[in-house]
Amino acid sequence: MTSLVLRNVSLRSGARPLFAPLSATVPAGVVVSVTGPSGAGKSSLLAYACGALPTGLIGCGDVLLGSESLNGLPPEERRLGLLFQDDLLFPHLSVANNLAFGMRKAAASPSARRDRIAAALESVGLGGFGQRDPATLSGGERARVALLRVLLSEPRAVLLDEPFSRLDPASRAQTRAIVFAEIRSRSLPALLVTHDAEDVAAAGGPVVEIEPAERR
Amino acid sequence: MKTLALMIAAVVTGIPVLAGILITLVKALDSGAWSIVLSTPGVWRALELSVATGAVATIIALAIAHVTVALAGPAHWSSQLRAAIVPLLAMPHLATAIGLALLLSPAGLIVRLLSPAVTGFQQPPDWMTIQDARGLALTVGLVVKEVPFLTFVLLGALGQVPSERLMLTCRALGYGRLKSWLVAVAPLLQRQIRLPIAAVFAFGVTNVEMAIPLGPQTPPTFGILLWQWFTASRLELQGAAYAGTVLLVGATVSGLLAGWVAGRVGNAVLGRITASGRRIVRDGWLRNAALALPLIVAVLGLGAVASLAARAGSGMWRFPRVLPDHFSWVTYSNAGSFAGAPIGMTLLTAAVVTLVAIAITLLLIELLEYSPYWRRRVGIAVFVPLVVPQFGFLFGLTWLLTRLRLEGTLLAVIWSHVVFALPYTWGILAGARASLDSRYLLAARTLGSGPMRAWWTVTAPLLLRSMLLAAAIAFTVSTALYLPTLFAGAGRVITIATEAASAAASGNLRTAAVYGALQALLPLAAFAVASVGGHVLFRRYRGVSR
Repeated sequence: MTSLVLRNVSLRSGARPLFAPLSATVPAGVVVSVTGPSGAGKSSLLAYACGALPTGLIGCGDVLLGSESLNGLPPEERRLGLLFQDDLLFPHLSVANNLAFGMRKAAASPSARRDRIAAALESVGLGGFGQRDPATLSGGERARVALLRVLLSEPRAVLLDEPFSRLDPASRAQTRAIVFAEIRSRSLPALLVTHDAEDVAAAGGPVVEIEPAERR
Repeated sequence: MKTLALMIAAVVTGIPVLAGILITLVKALDSGAWSIVLSTPGVWRALELSVATGAVATIIALAIAHVTVALAGPAHWSSQLRAAIVPLLAMPHLATAIGLALLLSPAGLIVRLLSPAVTGFQQPPDWMTIQDARGLALTVGLVVKEVPFLTFVLLGALGQVPSERLMLTCRALGYGRLKSWLVAVAPLLQRQIRLPIAAVFAFGVTNVEMAIPLGPQTPPTFGILLWQWFTASRLELQGAAYAGTVLLVGATVSGLLAGWVAGRVGNAVLGRITASGRRIVRDGWLRNAALALPLIVAVLGLGAVASLAARAGSGMWRFPRVLPDHFSWVTYSNAGSFAGAPIGMTLLTAAVVTLVAIAITLLLIELLEYSPYWRRRVGIAVFVPLVVPQFGFLFGLTWLLTRLRLEGTLLAVIWSHVVFALPYTWGILAGARASLDSRYLLAARTLGSGPMRAWWTVTAPLLLRSMLLAAAIAFTVSTALYLPTLFAGAGRVITIATEAASAAASGNLRTAAVYGALQALLPLAAFAVASVGGHVLFRRYRGVSR
């Protein structure tokens, strides 16, 4: 597996830089945490990495997977999985169809796809949840479905934008453990944005501190 | 308070609409009337034309509106799109249809642009490009008029959906922008705009405003048949109008049910498409191709406006010249003399309707402030006139007005217009009032203001911008209304709308163009005043929301 590399990435809003140029290498199977004060541009950093910087922000610097540059590619061609603090499950689709949407089109038959979805749900303790309406699931269950949806799309790296911050304390620890275990077992590089010290401790990987750019 | 509000709402809009529907139903129980309806030559073909043009136009307009909003997806130009749409929205149906008739006719701008270079025509060709027997021109007209409306509604719904993050989620899963939109955003929008779609369909099936200049003639659409029967002097034909109305409304309701079934089927198909996992990543070419659809609609819409203005202001205009031989303001300045009375009547009616509709809406909102249950019910009730086909209660309403000896009076016309203006003023003002931070009022009250003073010093100024917008829309609705003016006014209250319709019906497109242009200009002026007013009033206060 290849690693995810950020090289001299910086963002600015108009002429105002958000943070000092940042470099980081995320090896396969390692979760690197990005921390820093709120408003420093942590979420915008992830948006830049996946190619969806909001209008008004300008970024420069390289995003690489191994030696392949992702610069200039639209989000759909980067194959970086993205988990938000809101799960963003599609409210008009069943749990199984949400997952089917995420799953890559292999040569598999519809029944093989269904089996794979059922097995995936089983693996995170949600066996038999396929036909459920996402709205009837608890926060922790929804977070696990969102994780599965990303993993079934076979991403080459994962970007996590405070994905546990909306969960209640009980399911937070459990969800965190499942997410990190899945990432490690698949040897995916992962970049975690958070300001929760417990997240950082559980991630176990290196920590990159975002420093606000110096004011002139 | 609550009782008073409910009584006002009932008298203004509930009783006329309900009575209109009931009277139509009772009057339609006459077997003689039915035998006239069923023995009319071409009656089934007329019904088929109405339903087919309405259904096809609704489906095409909905598809183009979705494409437009999907392509405008990057939020930074959806606000420009919204601003560009408002003038098109403000164009009355009748004026749009007259402009399109001028544009599409064999001697119209499109043929002129191609002649004689491409076509070789020295004379206008002998084609049925408008009023064609299959209703194609009518369908095009409905599409051109409804795409801006549905786009506007979709943009409104877009604000209720986290569309950008949903799109990003899909794209990060490896999907192109078109499929991301189709799967994740479009279904959520579609759920919110069922009622507007139903209204578009009901209008398409039952309208006469667009069918007069554009629709087929032998047989005409069913709406035109009803209109001819009701304005006929023979009493038994008026009876047929009631029975025919029931038939047309029945067809509309069946069409809506069929649409509901089609929606379920569409959902199932979409489910298949969603679950397949098939990804079209490079969809740029498809997006560029799809861009042609809104562009065609925009070109037709602008071409209609240009044709309207050119024809109204032109003297001689020999074929195949693209521009009139000379422009003259004669027609416009003459309009003052021959259209002075209709213009005055239109302005008077619209001004009174605007004031009354806004006053009633504000009063109802405040009276129902603490009864959310009834506020919701009243909100639904005022929308009924937009969804029920106009014929469904206008015939009955006219009968009621005759019994009240109000038929043909200005009061009757104003009342009927208020019924159609209220849904818009309510929609805007109730929404604005609900989103007003209630703590402002609490602050005013704790500072020692009574409820009246708090309303004047806090609520009213903060709602002023919305009031201006609501006023512009109410004004526009009133100037555009044709059937209610004709029926409630018993043909005696002459406005620009009735003059435009009768000129178009008698085939005099030149005169129709003058009235159509006037009908288009008045709303634009109203929107301009509202927009400038809103900017001027609060230009020093950035915190006042738009």
